[in-house]
Amino acid sequence: MNAPVSPPASIDLQAILQEAQIQDVLDQLDRELVGLAPVKRRIREIAAFLVVSRARQSLGLESAAPSLHMSFTGNPGTGKTTVAMRMAEILHRLGYVRKGHVVSVTRDDLVGQYIGHTAPKTKEVLKKAMGGVLFIDEAYYLYRPENERDYGQEAIEILLQVMENHRDDLVVILAGYKDRMGTFFQSNPGMSSRIAHHIDFPDYSADELLAIAEKMAGQMNYRFDEGSILAMREYVALRAAQPHFANARSIRNALDRARLRQANRLFEAAMTAQGAVAADDLTLIGAEDIRASRVFAQEPTDGPG
Amino acid sequence: MTKPVEDGVITDAKKRYSAGVLKYKQMGYWQPDYVPKDTDVIALFRVTPQEGVDPEEAAAAIAGESSTATWTVVWTDRLTACELYRAKAYRVDQVPNTGEGTRTEAQFFCWIAYDLDLFEEGSIANLTASIIGNVFGFKAVKALRLEDMRLPVAYLKTFQGPATGIVVERERLDKFGRPLLGATTKPKLGLSGRNYGRVVYEALKGGLDFVKDDENINSQPFMGWRDRFLYCMEAVNRASAATGEVKGHYLNVTAGTMEDMYERADFARALGSAIIMIDLVVGYTAIQSMAKWARKNDVILHLHRAGNSTYSRQKNHGMNFRVICKWMRMAGVDHIHAGTVVGKLEGDPLMIKGFYDTLRESDTPMALENGLFFDQDWASLRRVMPVASGGIHAGQMHQLIHYLGEDVVLQFGGGTIGHPQGIQAGATANRVALEAMIQARNEGRDYLNEGPQILAEAARWCSPLKAALDTWGDISFNYASTDTADFVPTATAA
Amino acid sequence: MMTNTGNRLTQGQFSFLPPLTDEQISKQLSFALDKGWSIGIEYTDDPHPRNTYWEMFGNPMFDLKDPAGILMEINNCRRTFPHHYIRVTAFDATRGWETPRMSYIVNRPEKEPGFRLNRQEVDGRMIRYSVESYAATRPEGERYP
Repeated sequence: MNAPVSPPASIDLQAILQEAQIQDVLDQLDRELVGLAPVKRRIREIAAFLVVSRARQSLGLESAAPSLHMSFTGNPGTGKTTVAMRMAEILHRLGYVRKGHVVSVTRDDLVGQYIGHTAPKTKEVLKKAMGGVLFIDEAYYLYRPENERDYGQEAIEILLQVMENHRDDLVVILAGYKDRMGTFFQSNPGMSSRIAHHIDFPDYSADELLAIAEKMAGQMNYRFDEGSILAMREYVALRAAQPHFANARSIRNALDRARLRQANRLFEAAMTAQGAVAADDLTLIGAEDIRASRVFAQEPTDGPG
Repeated sequence: MTKPVEDGVITDAKKRYSAGVLKYKQMGYWQPDYVPKDTDVIALFRVTPQEGVDPEEAAAAIAGESSTATWTVVWTDRLTACELYRAKAYRVDQVPNTGEGTRTEAQFFCWIAYDLDLFEEGSIANLTASIIGNVFGFKAVKALRLEDMRLPVAYLKTFQGPATGIVVERERLDKFGRPLLGATTKPKLGLSGRNYGRVVYEALKGGLDFVKDDENINSQPFMGWRDRFLYCMEAVNRASAATGEVKGHYLNVTAGTMEDMYERADFARALGSAIIMIDLVVGYTAIQSMAKWARKNDVILHLHRAGNSTYSRQKNHGMNFRVICKWMRMAGVDHIHAGTVVGKLEGDPLMIKGFYDTLRESDTPMALENGLFFDQDWASLRRVMPVASGGIHAGQMHQLIHYLGEDVVLQFGGGTIGHPQGIQAGATANRVALEAMIQARNEGRDYLNEGPQILAEAARWCSPLKAALDTWGDISFNYASTDTADFVPTATAA
Repeated sequence: MMTNTGNRLTQGQFSFLPPLTDEQISKQLSFALDKGWSIGIEYTDDPHPRNTYWEMFGNPMFDLKDPAGILMEINNCRRTFPHHYIRVTAFDATRGWETPRMSYIVNRPEKEPGFRLNRQEVDGRMIRYSVESYAATRPEGERYP
């Protein structure tokens, strides 16, 4: 490590933070995502680390840029994509990536169907992601040990090469279920060693999911009343216990179906009573719109309703 | 007997045609409520009325004289759909900074709409015979200038437009992303064919893309046209082999008759010339004929605007050069000299922007500060490459690119041939200055202000450029322009 | 050897400047990307002035945000064809242009033998000219050692 010839007395971390307006991004994350306290804490830590690295670089205490590739683990609907976008913004504002866009892909975007197909596909994606963040969802599908000739391995090798040689040009975030990512890293130590930051996304609590429902409804100019909020609470508890539960994504789907039922209910009422519909009625999701879901059916069903 | 017309309003339609002399305004040529159709040709004139003639009457008179009217009432109008054929003056505005309290006598802009049926398709000659035919000698106006025209899409679609256009020209030449470089062979007159070709070869080999005949090089005692063509093409091909680039020389085919022009053009094509040239003085019909010939023979058509200043330079009479630009884009030339801003010939930067936009853009919105009075949709007529020529040199490269952009031919005649180290060195100096400035512009540098520094940096490794800057670096032509905007740019919130 | 200024082929918009560094190339790439142009890399060992179709080193690259990926491909191309001419072309897809808007050479052979001018005397004083690359008399791929 080269020590500077005449070490400057001090460096103002606050100034770096303020200049990059990192707090804005963190605040936005707080507004966008309910709960997720441990994730937000990790993001703060990483932001702090990046600020300090920047300061150390400017003092000549650090020569190489830090490795910034990350792994986001957690169940579906826990906010991984949203956090990746904010992370890209933080990296951009601190000057770790030049453009700050996110290119989001899965195995199908990287791996080809025949010999010679994979390399150009992977390179195409990498070129698009340069200057920003490459977000690979369900990254473990790249690795299929059961098939010796799987082209996923080729994509992994190209990824590794670029992750090493183009650290200044892009940041890769691998995402997926925690246990499967664990297995993936065990079988691909080269990948594991290049990941600098691991962030685990826990499932939402029932209260958090309810808050998410209210927030989503509000964004679409809908509202709940006492009856429907109670119905929603029961719905959340029942749905979370069923298979294929996807946290916030399941809530979004439930709301979309409730809106359909509400529209249908209003329409039928208008047909029979010939009445005008009040603006208030147009915005209200009623308890019956929620309770009509198959989730409330006595017998267990195959899937969510 | 009641008057057929009361205060300009026709009260008795039948009696309007009773024999005698009516005011033009009363004959229906002044229609302040008229809303021009999308298919109307609109002309904007600058009128200086005779003493005592009110501006609306002057406008109506121009509308009349440039369409159906004669000095008296004719009953034969009644055999026609004369309402349609009558041009309509529909708006008159006093020109800013003229009239009482100024040094200029009162002038008026007047807008006149012409129905599409007044004009033959695809004929500049027919269009101009109406618009600038008799009317400019008309006694009711002291002076008259055609400032601008709005050509409807329907009419533009009847014209071929540029034979080649900027896009195809660049593809043929395989030259992109920078202005093209040219020079006019000097001296204009007296060189033999053999001596003339020497200048062409040296300039092209040194780095220019084109060399050009001057407007008055045709076929004179000192050099016949066939000799000129043969020697120039030897030079072009030699230079192309020496550099690996496509090169060209504008062979001037201007001659006394169309038959002679076709003969010369055919010979140029047979020799493999990429480009020929004609002078504006050959006339609109000859220009359109040559544009068709050029389209048919894959040859680029360069137009030298010889003669235009006789009618475009004075502000109160004649016609604005932007109208020539419009007509020439319709007539179908590929190149036209359109001013330099910084050189020795007339040219106010704002006005020249108007000319260049008119030649190069696919739509030009109204921009009074650039003298563009109308929104003009060019109906996919190809883009004309403007040519900047006359008293420009490598030391002005930053200004030239700033004002003129990259789709332009920059012609450095004296600035190439007069170089102290020779013609090749002169050409190299220009090319290096150009490429260095384009590189700096693309890199996002403030090249207009840092221009001299960017040139000095390049001159450090390029001695021909250093010599050019040492020779001409300080020369500029700062005269006031006569053709300037009547409207100042409106300030935008910054 | 070519005897013109710089003793080299002068196609492309920057052939009169010293060879562009990777950093300078990146700035030119950024200029094109900011305008929304796509960028292709092409190589050839037949630099005849009217050889329009150089070989494509992959399709033109669309929708890129940052020059690093293109520079990576330029360097791949240089490694694969170190003795060829390599040029970068930027394509504009907007109506009324739909044509290359930039083109510049980023690699060239060490020795450029240039072109022969052939003259065929025909009818009277007419001459038919043709330009022929000295290197192109050898087979493709063996032209520039």
